[in-house]
Amino acid sequence: MGKLRFAIALAAAKLSVIALKITKRNGTNFPGVVAIRICPDFLKYINRPEKIIAVTGTNGKTTVSNLLRDVLAQAGKTVLNNGLGSNIASGIATCLISGVNIFNVEKYKAAVLEVDERSALRIFPYVKPDWMIVTNLSRDSIMRNAHPEYIRKILEDNIPPETKLILNADDLLSAGIAPKNERVYFGIEKMEGDAQESVNLINDMQICPRCHTKLKYEYVRYSSIGKAYCPRCDFRSPEYDYAAYNVDVRSMSMDIRTGDESEHFSLMNEGTFNIYNQVTVITAMHELGYSLSEIKGFMSKVDIVKTRYNVTERGDRTVTMLLSKDKNAYAGSRVFEYIASQPGDKEVILMMNCLGDVKHWSENTCWLYDCDFEFLNGHGIKHIIVTGPREKDYKLRLLMAGVPEDIISACEKETDAPGLLRLFENDNIYILYGTDSIALAGKVKAGVIAAIGEEGTK
Amino acid sequence: MRVEVLFPEIANLYGELGNIKYLEKSVPDIYVKETSVNEKPAFLDSNEESFDLVYMGTMSESSQLLVMEKLAPYREEIISSIENGQRILVTGNALEIFGKSISDDTGEKQQCLGIFDFHTERKMMKRFNSLYLGKYGDIDVAGYKSQFTHSFYDDGSLKPLFMTERGPGFNPDVKEEGIRYKNFMATYVIGPLFIINPPLMTAILKEAGIEAEPAFKDAAMDAYRSRIAEYGNPKTGFYY
Repeated sequence: MGKLRFAIALAAAKLSVIALKITKRNGTNFPGVVAIRICPDFLKYINRPEKIIAVTGTNGKTTVSNLLRDVLAQAGKTVLNNGLGSNIASGIATCLISGVNIFNVEKYKAAVLEVDERSALRIFPYVKPDWMIVTNLSRDSIMRNAHPEYIRKILEDNIPPETKLILNADDLLSAGIAPKNERVYFGIEKMEGDAQESVNLINDMQICPRCHTKLKYEYVRYSSIGKAYCPRCDFRSPEYDYAAYNVDVRSMSMDIRTGDESEHFSLMNEGTFNIYNQVTVITAMHELGYSLSEIKGFMSKVDIVKTRYNVTERGDRTVTMLLSKDKNAYAGSRVFEYIASQPGDKEVILMMNCLGDVKHWSENTCWLYDCDFEFLNGHGIKHIIVTGPREKDYKLRLLMAGVPEDIISACEKETDAPGLLRLFENDNIYILYGTDSIALAGKVKAGVIAAIGEEGTK
Repeated sequence: MRVEVLFPEIANLYGELGNIKYLEKSVPDIYVKETSVNEKPAFLDSNEESFDLVYMGTMSESSQLLVMEKLAPYREEIISSIENGQRILVTGNALEIFGKSISDDTGEKQQCLGIFDFHTERKMMKRFNSLYLGKYGDIDVAGYKSQFTHSFYDDGSLKPLFMTERGPGFNPDVKEEGIRYKNFMATYVIGPLFIINPPLMTAILKEAGIEAEPAFKDAAMDAYRSRIAEYGNPKTGFYY
């Protein structure tokens, strides 16, 4: 009965794929939704590639998954990948459906699958990865993800025992996951700018998990990302199997060492989180059997996808769109820190409101007090516009962060924000938007470009 | 004003330390002592000057176990301190530590400090998310709840901290929310409770004999009034 139901589900899903193509609606997980609705254990029956690499974690999994797919393509390996779809069970099902024909015959030898952390319990009972990359674990949506320990427990309860783990030694929240599984660790040795005390509001590894003594850090980059040790017992961060060293953002280069092998790499992006993403992919590729020298060659031909970041120049001004995942304090802090690190005078439009929440209830704003708005105080930031349904909460949070009231402007409607710009000479304008306000952010950007144009004609 | 924050390294899951920062910006001459989990709470130390407020925020489930283990040796001293009128505010699941037990849907049952006569039931695969609107006396209180648990009064004499207008109380079946016993205050409302509710903070300070204006009063009251109106609007959904 199960197999018959599966065959019907696969046929229906394949038909839905054709229907979506006719209606030009690609990139949805609808076929997977159809398949799982007809056959709840669809993932049990669908054939899949011989080798599966799963990528999960709170931040960076999309970047790592896409980059790994692209680097493998340079190595001549076309892999099945859910980069265009979703990372929950129905998205994984949609991806696997695209990898088989109507008779469930597999077309690919390998898959790189981005997997939502919470969906592990619906995916891993059936789809058992050979390797699993955990980029990191950090605070995320309070409503959905609660806290990192909760997500770690979900993963630990569902990671198959035979899966080899690729883990970030610099993130103690994820480094100790599923301790019985075989594993390798990657990390980045001391970098310029590292501190010994975290300055961030989120710091979820402050005490030793064994004796609860306050941990010390040989170096820490943000939150609890770094190399820690307990001054009282023998607990410490794992040693690196893959170590990045000589990381230099001026020359945009780093070295990677594993065993007796080492290689010089160009950095694909100067952001620390993206350096971690690159080191993660190098580690995964080496685990797949490629030498560091080969990986360097493949990597030189690909780029990190820049959909979350784009800059437009208008005369002496720049307009930068930055995705700052709504209700995610950790991601917001990285974005604020990045803006603070950039040179020049700046204006910032904050519009990362969760528009989905507005339709159904009201956004939970606890995250504002986990997020380092303090990075927006000073650092050349001369004007901040708060807008959208939570404009008043943003304003209060900025005041709490020490931002002077006279440099804060507010408007309820996002598209009114460009009209409030002060447009300094050599201004750098940043528009921070959430995952469900991409289209609206585009309108705001158009308004900003128009405002710059009008100002130029005065 | 003297404030003790218990275990800020683990009891600050949803921006709760923002409450303390808001107190620091609102109250002149404030002293804040942060007590780590390996230390005895200072408010129990007879050699310490007394504290006007002791605060503890939300934490992970494993941190709850750790805090219970650390506080258990001081159970009698904590009871005595509460009876003597120590002002304590605990928010989110920190309140569960003061009840009788936490039962998991796996059948496991964790004994807690047993200071107050209520128990907690936990479902780790069910997250209860909601907005909250209630009253502290005649003061409107707004906030958020996001939890795996509900608690149940086992003794009808326990008094709540808030009376619920919209959203769940101590559990979805009751309007009473939290606990008020002498100056011990507990609520499931998480995060920046004082920042979102400046009148509540002012009232609690006044009870402690401290007169203070909320910091950034205009902006804070503007946000507060908007939120109360929004939550009071029947069109605003309350459950996620």
